[in-house]
Amino acid sequence: MPTEKELQISPLVPDSILHNSRTLVNLQSLTASLFGVAAGILGLESYSGFLFYLAFSLLTTALFYFVRVAPASPFASSTPAQKTGLFDTSRYFHSPIAFWTGGLGNGLAGYILTWTLFYGLVRA
Amino acid sequence: MVQVPVQTIHRDPQLFYWILLPITLVMILTGVLRHYATVLMATAPKKLDQKTLREQRSLLHGINVRGNFHVLSKRSFNTRRDALTTEYESGAYLKDPERRGQAPPNPMTDPSSMDGMMGMMKNQMAMIVPNTLIMSWINAFFSGYVIMKLPFPLTIKFKSMLQAGVATKDMDPRWMSSISWYFLCIFGLQSVFNFLLGNDNAASQMAQQMGQMGPATGQMFGPGVDPDKQFVAEAENLAVIEHYSVLDSVEQRLLQGIKV
Repeated sequence: MPTEKELQISPLVPDSILHNSRTLVNLQSLTASLFGVAAGILGLESYSGFLFYLAFSLLTTALFYFVRVAPASPFASSTPAQKTGLFDTSRYFHSPIAFWTGGLGNGLAGYILTWTLFYGLVRA
Repeated sequence: MVQVPVQTIHRDPQLFYWILLPITLVMILTGVLRHYATVLMATAPKKLDQKTLREQRSLLHGINVRGNFHVLSKRSFNTRRDALTTEYESGAYLKDPERRGQAPPNPMTDPSSMDGMMGMMKNQMAMIVPNTLIMSWINAFFSGYVIMKLPFPLTIKFKSMLQAGVATKDMDPRWMSSISWYFLCIFGLQSVFNFLLGNDNAASQMAQQMGQMGPATGQMFGPGVDPDKQFVAEAENLAVIEHYSVLDSVEQRLLQGIKV
C-alpha cells in the first residue's frame, strides 16, 4: 500500500480509477448474467450453483487481471522503485481486495435472476 | 429421517408466454422509460449570481490549496495561505457581509432551497408511481399462479413472501408466484440496464436509493449552511498545514533511479 507521500509524488487520477472500476463492474455484471444462463441450462441446484458462480466470477477477475492489468503493470521492471508484486493492482485500482472480491456482490442479483429463469425454463 | 419426495407440479407451458415474458418485458421497458424520464425531467442547475458564485468558488479555492499544497513551493504556499486566511476571517468573500453572525434562514421557507426539494420529490415520484402501478397490475392479473421453481432451497419463512396469493399450505417454498418473479426482476435487472443504457443510468430503483443514502456533494453549499462558519473553519484548516513539497529531496530519488 503506497503511503500518502508516494501517492503525492506519483498521483492516481480519480477519474481514471473510476473509469477502470466501472469497466470492471460492467464486465462482471454482464458475465454474471451469462453464468446464470449456463448454470440454469446445466440444471445446477443450491450449493453447486453458488460454487459455480464463485468459481467463474473469480475466474473472470483473474482473466481480467492477466489480460488487461498484468501486462501493463511494471512488475518485471528493472528499477526497484517501480517493481510491484505479481498480484499487485495498485497501478489501476485503489484496493486489491475490492478488485478481487468486488465482482461477487455486483453480479449476484443478475446471476440469480438468469439462473432462476433458465432453470425454470429448462428443468422445472 | 424420512426423505421427503421432491414435489413436482405440472404447469402449463403457456404460463411462460403469458406471465413470465410479459412481466420481464414490462420491467425492462419501465426501467428504460424511467431512465429517459429522469433525463428529461432533470432541471439544469440554476444560474447563480456573481456574489454567490464568488463565495462558493473562493471556498473551493481554499479547499484546493489545502489539498494540493505539496505541489507548491514553500514561498508561494505561504503567500496563498496568508491571503486566503486574511480574506476568510474578514469575510471579504461573503455574499452579504452585513448578515454575518446571524442565524441562517430556515431552509423550509427559503425559496432558493425549494429547487433541491422539488428534484428529490420528482425522483421519488418517478420511483413510486411505476412501482405501485406494476405491483397492482401483477396482483390483478397474475396472482395465484405458480410459475417457477427456484434452483436453491429456502426456509419456510420465505413462503409468505414468495407464494403470496397461493393458498397451499404444504408446498415447498421454492415454488414461486408471479409477484416474486417481479421482486427478482427488481433486484436482478441492473446488469441488463447497464448493458442497454450505459453505466450511470437512472433505471434502477436500487441505485437511486443508494444515492439517497450517501451524502450529497451539493450539500456543501446547501441551504441552512452558514458560509461564514465554513470560511472560518477553512482558514483554521489552512493555518495548521505543515508544508512540504514533493520536490524535497527529489535529487536523491532521481539518483536512486539511475543505474550505471
